[in-house]
Amino acid sequence: MTVIFGIAAGLALVGALGVVLSQRTLYSALSLVVNMVSLAVLFLLLDAQFLAAVQIIVYAGAVMVLFVFIIALLSPGAEERVHPLEVRLLLGGLAAVVFTLVIGRLTLNGITVAGNGRLHGGLGPFAPTVVNAHGQVQTLGEQLFTTYLLPFEVTSLLLLVAAVGAVYLSKRRRPLL
Amino acid sequence: MSGMFPGFLILSAALFAIGAVGVLVRRNPLVVFMSIELMLNAANLALITYARYTDTMAGQIFALFVIAVAASEVVVGLALITGVYRSGRRLDLDELSEMSE
Repeated sequence: MTVIFGIAAGLALVGALGVVLSQRTLYSALSLVVNMVSLAVLFLLLDAQFLAAVQIIVYAGAVMVLFVFIIALLSPGAEERVHPLEVRLLLGGLAAVVFTLVIGRLTLNGITVAGNGRLHGGLGPFAPTVVNAHGQVQTLGEQLFTTYLLPFEVTSLLLLVAAVGAVYLSKRRRPLL
Repeated sequence: MSGMFPGFLILSAALFAIGAVGVLVRRNPLVVFMSIELMLNAANLALITYARYTDTMAGQIFALFVIAVAASEVVVGLALITGVYRSGRRLDLDELSEMSE
Protein backbone atom coordinates (compact mmCIF):
# COMPACT_ATOMS: atom_id res chain seq x y z
CA MET A 1 0.00 0.00 0.00
CA THR A 2 2.70 2.43 1.06
CA VAL A 3 4.88 1.34 -1.87
CA ILE A 4 2.08 2.04 -4.36
CA PHE A 5 1.49 5.41 -2.72
CA GLY A 6 5.20 6.24 -3.00
CA ILE A 7 5.40 5.32 -6.68
CA ALA A 8 2.17 7.13 -7.61
CA ALA A 9 3.07 10.23 -5.58
CA GLY A 10 6.54 10.37 -7.15
CA LEU A 11 5.10 10.05 -10.64
CA ALA A 12 2.51 12.73 -9.89
CA LEU A 13 5.23 15.13 -8.73
CA VAL A 14 7.42 14.34 -11.76
CA GLY A 15 4.46 14.92 -14.06
CA ALA A 16 3.61 18.23 -12.38
CA LEU A 17 7.20 19.43 -12.64
CA GLY A 18 7.25 18.34 -16.26
CA VAL A 19 4.19 20.49 -17.01
CA VAL A 20 5.84 23.61 -15.61
CA LEU A 21 9.42 23.03 -16.81
CA SER A 22 8.98 21.52 -20.28
CA GLN A 23 10.25 23.58 -23.19
CA ARG A 24 7.68 22.28 -25.63
CA THR A 25 3.93 22.58 -25.11
CA LEU A 26 3.33 19.00 -26.25
CA TYR A 27 5.75 17.67 -23.62
CA SER A 28 3.82 19.65 -21.01
CA ALA A 29 0.61 17.98 -22.16
CA LEU A 30 2.15 14.50 -21.99
CA SER A 31 3.52 15.22 -18.49
CA LEU A 32 0.01 16.27 -17.50
CA VAL A 33 -1.27 12.86 -18.68
CA VAL A 34 1.31 11.16 -16.41
CA ASN A 35 0.13 13.35 -13.53
CA MET A 36 -3.56 12.57 -14.17
CA VAL A 37 -3.03 8.81 -14.37
CA SER A 38 -0.99 8.70 -11.15
CA LEU A 39 -3.70 10.75 -9.46
CA ALA A 40 -6.24 8.13 -10.60
CA VAL A 41 -4.08 5.49 -8.88
CA LEU A 42 -4.10 7.61 -5.71
CA PHE A 43 -7.91 7.88 -5.93
CA LEU A 44 -8.06 4.07 -6.06
CA LEU A 45 -5.93 3.94 -2.92
CA LEU A 46 -8.47 6.26 -1.28
CA ASP A 47 -11.39 3.90 -2.07
CA ALA A 48 -12.79 6.28 -4.70
CA GLN A 49 -13.07 3.83 -7.61
CA PHE A 50 -15.73 5.76 -9.51
CA LEU A 51 -13.73 8.99 -9.39
CA ALA A 52 -10.62 7.15 -10.57
CA ALA A 53 -12.57 5.97 -13.62
CA VAL A 54 -13.97 9.46 -14.18
CA GLN A 55 -10.48 10.91 -13.86
CA ILE A 56 -9.18 8.60 -16.60
CA ILE A 57 -12.18 9.08 -18.91
CA VAL A 58 -12.75 12.83 -18.54
CA TYR A 59 -9.23 14.15 -17.88
CA ALA A 60 -6.78 11.72 -19.46
CA GLY A 61 -9.33 11.06 -22.19
CA ALA A 62 -11.46 14.00 -23.21
CA VAL A 63 -9.62 17.03 -21.80
CA MET A 64 -6.15 15.91 -22.83
CA VAL A 65 -7.29 14.96 -26.33
CA LEU A 66 -8.72 18.47 -26.62
CA PHE A 67 -5.42 19.96 -25.40
CA VAL A 68 -3.28 17.90 -27.78
CA PHE A 69 -5.66 18.69 -30.64
CA ILE A 70 -5.43 22.42 -30.00
CA ILE A 71 -1.63 22.24 -29.66
CA ALA A 72 -1.41 20.40 -32.97
CA LEU A 73 -3.83 22.85 -34.57
CA LEU A 74 -2.07 26.01 -33.42
CA SER A 75 1.45 24.50 -33.46
CA PRO A 76 2.97 27.51 -31.68
CA GLY A 77 6.20 27.78 -33.60
CA ALA A 78 8.30 30.20 -31.60
CA GLU A 79 8.45 28.49 -28.24
CA GLU A 80 9.31 30.48 -25.20
CA ARG A 81 12.51 29.45 -23.51
CA VAL A 82 12.43 28.40 -19.90
CA HIS A 83 15.94 28.38 -18.57
CA PRO A 84 16.15 26.47 -15.31
CA LEU A 85 18.31 29.19 -13.80
CA GLU A 86 16.09 32.04 -14.85
CA VAL A 87 15.47 34.36 -11.93
CA ARG A 88 11.71 34.18 -11.87
CA LEU A 89 11.78 30.39 -12.08
CA LEU A 90 14.12 30.30 -9.07
CA LEU A 91 11.82 32.64 -7.17
CA GLY A 92 8.86 30.51 -8.25
CA GLY A 93 10.51 27.34 -7.00
CA LEU A 94 11.26 28.99 -3.68
CA ALA A 95 7.64 30.17 -3.45
CA ALA A 96 6.44 26.64 -4.21
CA VAL A 97 8.53 25.13 -1.42
CA VAL A 98 7.40 27.75 1.11
CA PHE A 99 3.79 27.40 0.02
CA THR A 100 3.92 23.61 0.35
CA LEU A 101 5.37 23.83 3.85
CA VAL A 102 2.84 26.43 5.01
CA ILE A 103 -0.19 24.64 3.53
CA GLY A 104 1.03 21.28 4.76
CA ARG A 105 1.53 22.63 8.26
CA LEU A 106 -1.88 24.34 8.28
CA THR A 107 -3.83 21.35 6.98
CA LEU A 108 -2.23 19.07 9.52
CA ASN A 109 -2.83 21.56 12.31
CA GLY A 110 -5.04 20.06 15.00
CA ILE A 111 -5.68 16.83 13.12
CA THR A 112 -5.05 13.77 15.19
CA VAL A 113 -5.25 10.26 13.83
CA ALA A 114 -6.53 7.51 16.07
CA GLY A 115 -4.83 4.15 16.37
CA ASN A 116 -7.25 2.46 13.97
CA GLY A 117 -6.42 4.90 11.19
CA ARG A 118 -9.55 7.00 11.45
CA LEU A 119 -9.65 10.67 12.29
CA HIS A 120 -10.87 11.79 15.67
CA GLY A 121 -14.06 13.78 15.66
CA GLY A 122 -17.17 13.82 13.53
CA LEU A 123 -17.18 10.74 11.37
CA GLY A 124 -19.90 10.27 8.79
CA PRO A 125 -21.88 7.12 8.02
CA PHE A 126 -19.93 6.25 4.85
CA ALA A 127 -17.11 4.05 6.09
CA PRO A 128 -15.29 2.31 3.21
CA THR A 129 -16.53 -1.13 4.28
CA VAL A 130 -20.15 0.08 4.39
CA VAL A 131 -19.84 1.85 1.03
CA ASN A 132 -18.19 -1.11 -0.68
CA ALA A 133 -20.79 -3.51 0.70
CA HIS A 134 -23.58 -1.34 -0.72
CA GLY A 135 -21.67 -0.57 -3.93
CA GLN A 136 -19.51 2.48 -4.46
CA VAL A 137 -21.31 3.78 -7.56
CA GLN A 138 -24.73 3.07 -6.01
CA THR A 139 -23.90 5.11 -2.91
CA LEU A 140 -22.48 7.98 -4.95
CA GLY A 141 -25.46 7.96 -7.31
CA GLU A 142 -28.02 7.92 -4.51
CA GLN A 143 -26.31 10.85 -2.84
CA LEU A 144 -25.99 12.73 -6.13
CA PHE A 145 -29.66 12.37 -7.03
CA THR A 146 -31.11 13.06 -3.59
CA THR A 147 -29.02 15.30 -1.34
CA TYR A 148 -27.07 17.01 -4.13
CA LEU A 149 -29.78 17.15 -6.80
CA LEU A 150 -29.80 20.95 -7.18
CA PRO A 151 -26.01 21.32 -7.66
CA PHE A 152 -26.17 18.43 -10.12
CA GLU A 153 -28.79 20.20 -12.24
CA VAL A 154 -26.90 23.49 -12.06
CA THR A 155 -23.79 21.66 -13.28
CA SER A 156 -25.67 20.33 -16.30
CA LEU A 157 -26.77 23.88 -17.06
CA LEU A 158 -23.13 25.01 -16.75
CA LEU A 159 -22.01 22.36 -19.26
CA LEU A 160 -24.69 23.52 -21.69
CA VAL A 161 -23.62 27.16 -21.34
CA ALA A 162 -19.96 26.19 -21.84
CA ALA A 163 -20.79 24.25 -25.00
CA VAL A 164 -22.82 27.13 -26.44
CA GLY A 165 -20.08 29.60 -25.49
CA ALA A 166 -17.37 27.51 -27.15
CA VAL A 167 -19.41 27.25 -30.35
CA TYR A 168 -20.01 30.99 -30.34
CA LEU A 169 -16.35 31.85 -29.66
CA SER A 170 -14.92 29.57 -32.33
CA LYS A 171 -17.46 30.53 -34.97
CA ARG A 172 -16.14 32.54 -37.87
CA ARG A 173 -17.33 36.10 -37.54
CA ARG A 174 -19.48 37.26 -40.41
CA PRO A 175 -20.50 40.88 -40.78
CA LEU A 176 -24.08 41.35 -39.67
CA LEU A 177 -26.02 41.69 -42.95
CA MET B 1 -3.15 3.29 6.34
CA SER B 2 -3.27 6.04 8.94
CA GLY B 3 0.34 6.98 8.26
CA MET B 4 -0.51 7.89 4.69
CA PHE B 5 -3.07 10.56 5.59
CA PRO B 6 -0.52 13.40 6.02
CA GLY B 7 1.27 12.13 2.93
CA PHE B 8 -1.80 12.63 0.75
CA LEU B 9 -2.37 16.15 2.10
CA ILE B 10 1.26 17.22 1.68
CA LEU B 11 1.33 15.77 -1.84
CA SER B 12 -1.83 17.76 -2.59
CA ALA B 13 -0.25 20.95 -1.27
CA ALA B 14 2.92 20.33 -3.31
CA LEU B 15 0.96 19.74 -6.52
CA PHE B 16 -1.08 22.89 -5.90
CA ALA B 17 2.08 24.94 -5.29
CA ILE B 18 3.72 23.63 -8.48
CA GLY B 19 0.58 24.51 -10.44
CA ALA B 20 0.45 28.00 -8.92
CA VAL B 21 4.08 28.62 -9.84
CA GLY B 22 3.34 27.42 -13.36
CA VAL B 23 0.51 29.94 -13.68
CA LEU B 24 2.79 32.74 -12.44
CA VAL B 25 5.98 31.86 -14.32
CA ARG B 26 4.99 30.53 -17.73
CA ARG B 27 3.98 32.81 -20.58
CA ASN B 28 2.36 30.31 -22.95
CA PRO B 29 -1.42 30.42 -22.33
CA LEU B 30 -1.77 26.69 -23.08
CA VAL B 31 0.78 25.81 -20.37
CA VAL B 32 -0.96 28.21 -17.99
CA PHE B 33 -4.22 26.34 -18.60
CA MET B 34 -2.51 23.03 -17.90
CA SER B 35 -1.15 24.46 -14.64
CA ILE B 36 -4.68 25.47 -13.66
CA GLU B 37 -5.74 21.87 -14.30
CA LEU B 38 -2.90 20.79 -11.98
CA MET B 39 -4.22 23.03 -9.22
CA LEU B 40 -7.79 21.76 -9.65
CA ASN B 41 -6.54 18.19 -9.49
CA ALA B 42 -4.58 18.92 -6.33
CA ALA B 43 -7.74 20.30 -4.73
CA ASN B 44 -9.60 17.14 -5.81
CA LEU B 45 -6.96 15.00 -4.14
CA ALA B 46 -7.39 16.89 -0.86
CA LEU B 47 -11.19 16.62 -1.08
CA ILE B 48 -11.12 12.88 -1.67
CA THR B 49 -8.54 12.39 1.08
CA TYR B 50 -10.78 14.11 3.61
CA ALA B 51 -13.81 12.18 2.33
CA ARG B 52 -11.97 8.91 2.85
CA TYR B 53 -10.66 9.67 6.31
CA THR B 54 -13.83 11.22 7.74
CA ASP B 55 -16.19 8.54 6.35
CA THR B 56 -18.23 11.07 4.40
CA MET B 57 -19.34 11.27 0.79
CA ALA B 58 -19.48 15.04 0.32
CA GLY B 59 -15.82 15.29 -0.72
CA GLN B 60 -16.24 12.79 -3.53
CA ILE B 61 -19.41 14.49 -4.79
CA PHE B 62 -17.66 17.86 -4.73
CA ALA B 63 -14.68 16.40 -6.61
CA LEU B 64 -17.12 15.21 -9.27
CA PHE B 65 -18.47 18.76 -9.62
CA VAL B 66 -14.94 20.15 -9.78
CA ILE B 67 -14.17 17.78 -12.66
CA ALA B 68 -17.28 18.97 -14.54
CA VAL B 69 -16.43 22.63 -13.96
CA ALA B 70 -12.81 22.05 -15.05
CA ALA B 71 -13.95 20.37 -18.25
CA SER B 72 -16.23 23.28 -19.20
CA GLU B 73 -13.51 25.78 -18.25
CA VAL B 74 -11.05 24.04 -20.59
CA VAL B 75 -13.55 24.11 -23.44
CA VAL B 76 -14.22 27.85 -23.15
CA GLY B 77 -10.55 28.68 -22.50
CA LEU B 78 -9.26 26.77 -25.50
CA ALA B 79 -11.91 28.41 -27.68
CA LEU B 80 -10.64 31.80 -26.46
CA ILE B 81 -7.01 30.84 -27.21
CA THR B 82 -7.99 29.73 -30.71
CA GLY B 83 -9.76 33.05 -31.21
CA VAL B 84 -6.69 35.00 -30.10
CA TYR B 85 -4.47 32.92 -32.39
CA ARG B 86 -6.82 33.50 -35.31
CA SER B 87 -6.69 37.24 -34.81
CA GLY B 88 -3.01 36.98 -35.73
CA ARG B 89 -1.39 37.64 -32.39
CA ARG B 90 1.41 35.65 -30.81
CA LEU B 91 0.43 33.36 -27.97
CA ASP B 92 2.41 35.14 -25.28
CA LEU B 93 0.70 36.31 -22.12
CA ASP B 94 3.18 39.17 -21.62
CA GLU B 95 2.04 40.64 -24.93
CA LEU B 96 -1.63 39.78 -24.43
CA SER B 97 -1.98 41.77 -21.23
CA GLU B 98 -4.99 43.69 -22.51
CA MET B 99 -8.20 42.16 -23.77
CA SER B 100 -9.14 45.11 -25.97
CA GLU B 101 -8.44 45.11 -29.70
